[in-house]
Amino acid sequence: MNTLVNGIETAESGAAAAVSADIRDRADPALVRADRVEQLYSQLPLGMAATIVIGVISAVELREGRFIELVLFWGGLLALVVVLHAMLYLGYRNDPRKVQNTAQWLRWLGIGAFAAGAVWGFAAAVFFPSHADERQVFLAFLLAGVISGGIPMYAASWPVFAAYAAAITLPFTYVLATFGNRLFAEIALLIPLFYGVSVAIAFRLSGVFLAGYRLRRAYERQLVELQEARRQIEASGRKLALFAERAPIAVLELGAEGTIHEVNHAAELLFGYAANELIGKSAKHIVLPKYQADFDREWAALIASRQPMAGVKVRNPRRDGLTVVCDWTVTPLVNPDGQLISVIAQGRDITAQLEAERMKKEFTSTLSHELRTPLTSIIGSLQLINAGVLGDVPKDVAELTEVAERNGQRLLDLINDILDIEKIESGKLTLMPEVIRVDELVREAMVLNKGFGDRFKVRFQPRGELAADEVTADRKRLLQVMTNLLSNAAKFSPEGEVVEITTEKAAGKLRVGVHDRGPGIPEAFRSRIFGRFNQADSTATRQKGGTGLGLAICKRLVELMHGQIGFQDRDGGGTTFWFELPRHA
Amino acid sequence: MPDRPLNRICYVEDDEDIQRIVRMSLERVGKMTVEVVGDPMVAIGKITSFKPDLVMLDWMMPGMDGPTLFRKMKEQPETSALPVVFITAKATQRDMDELLALGAAGTISKPFSPKDLPEQLRAIWAKLP
Repeated sequence: MNTLVNGIETAESGAAAAVSADIRDRADPALVRADRVEQLYSQLPLGMAATIVIGVISAVELREGRFIELVLFWGGLLALVVVLHAMLYLGYRNDPRKVQNTAQWLRWLGIGAFAAGAVWGFAAAVFFPSHADERQVFLAFLLAGVISGGIPMYAASWPVFAAYAAAITLPFTYVLATFGNRLFAEIALLIPLFYGVSVAIAFRLSGVFLAGYRLRRAYERQLVELQEARRQIEASGRKLALFAERAPIAVLELGAEGTIHEVNHAAELLFGYAANELIGKSAKHIVLPKYQADFDREWAALIASRQPMAGVKVRNPRRDGLTVVCDWTVTPLVNPDGQLISVIAQGRDITAQLEAERMKKEFTSTLSHELRTPLTSIIGSLQLINAGVLGDVPKDVAELTEVAERNGQRLLDLINDILDIEKIESGKLTLMPEVIRVDELVREAMVLNKGFGDRFKVRFQPRGELAADEVTADRKRLLQVMTNLLSNAAKFSPEGEVVEITTEKAAGKLRVGVHDRGPGIPEAFRSRIFGRFNQADSTATRQKGGTGLGLAICKRLVELMHGQIGFQDRDGGGTTFWFELPRHA
Repeated sequence: MPDRPLNRICYVEDDEDIQRIVRMSLERVGKMTVEVVGDPMVAIGKITSFKPDLVMLDWMMPGMDGPTLFRKMKEQPETSALPVVFITAKATQRDMDELLALGAAGTISKPFSPKDLPEQLRAIWAKLP
């Protein structure tokens, strides 16, 4: 593997690795065998022609001997062998499955070669003893010639040559050895040596042929693979080009000097220029003049470091004079030799997104300030009346001002909950963790919510001793969680019931439980109870108050404090809501 | 803790409705003497002449915001030692902390409860050196 400077990894070509090993091992042995057989058969016409010429000359030379019938018989045998070879040759040439039938054709050729050798061996055995000196020299020369001629003929398969030559030399050696002449006997001793050397040469030649064929087949295979690889690369290239072309984001390819080489359709739409108006121009064409010095500096840094950059926000001018804010990802392409090929810039128009974010921020700020200020006056006024600061008011008026105060408070709770959710989800909520004793926190929450419990005629009461253990949490936010759980429990408990609060220690954690005797959580609602604006029954919402955001906020707050929140059915009816926080060591 | 009970409050706030509620809360519930200033630009003069025990400032006001007024008070020898409580609808916890770091005696967020406001102020007063 080779790691590029810009962090993109590339596989070294598999072909390069194969070259270092023996490339011939990649050849298909069946094809190599077929090549050898093809070579053997391609020699047959030449062999047959030579056999006919030599056979005719020999017959003419030998007919002057005493056994003319034998010469004719021998000539007939030779002609028969030639005819059989011709048939073999034609059969092979016309076989459509000759590659698959290689072994069979090789076997037939071996038999043919042995038969041809045997006919020459017959000539040696029959004619050598029956002729005078000159004819014997002629015969010896002839036999040596046909053996030598067999080497290139059958070089592609040395065993075929060995069979052919053995069929000639064996009878000849026998005749020489039994002739009764010392010189001939000595020659008979030399013939096996001559035979051995010939077979050894054929063996070596056969090796050379084999290596040649294997190399040819291996390269053929390599070529096919290379062509396939090239086809795949071209297909990938087309696919990539299509991706860039059809991508909804602007894609530009830039040279090292910052010249635009290529732009896609989205870039044309974004900047309002046709591709040919941008190609060849400097990228500064789409940078505002006052930022061009910055651009030059950043570009030089990019080219020097060759490190990709993401999240680069740039204000780009359009052709129509407007500007768009784009989020750019810039990736230098570097080859394995460390040379910069080009720089790919991908830009997303985030103008609308930024505007939406700004509007959301403005809306949140408005919600926070402009709604809370009048609510301060409304709730404050009603509180002063309801607290009796202004003296007694008629009963009907008091009832209505209480309704007004309660609903003003509800509106305020909703605003606060929406602001909390927004703050948590935009990651802007900062917790102020401190070490808190859980029993003290639970008691504080019970005191704070006593008034709320009284309204629903529900009492909050600890069950068993509360743990004096400590947790690390944001006090105000943890009280908010407790308040939510206690007020929910109060709202949904029957009048006169007791809401119990427990603390439990578990491995490294502390669990606070709030147990009510309410109607329980409906099955269909369980999965989305911690979602936003969720209440089991909207009628209940109107009757009991609440925004449907409380538990969603609780879940997020507890998780921000590295804890968990959940609920379960309570024995004897009702629900237990609990949260767990890591215990302070 | 100061050796006298909290009695005289000066409240700088531009919203007339809230002025009225705060005045009612402090006078009727808290039995305190209240001076309300609607224009922050003249606040320093009014504070100097009223000689309050404690000053309450709104954060967002036209002309001059609460923190700026607070800084100006710190520059004047007559007002620099007065305890100041901010009362605001906008501030985040971070803003509140900043004010406390600047030397504010306390912060109360809007909407506050007029029933409890005098108690909240007395609690801040009790913690003063």
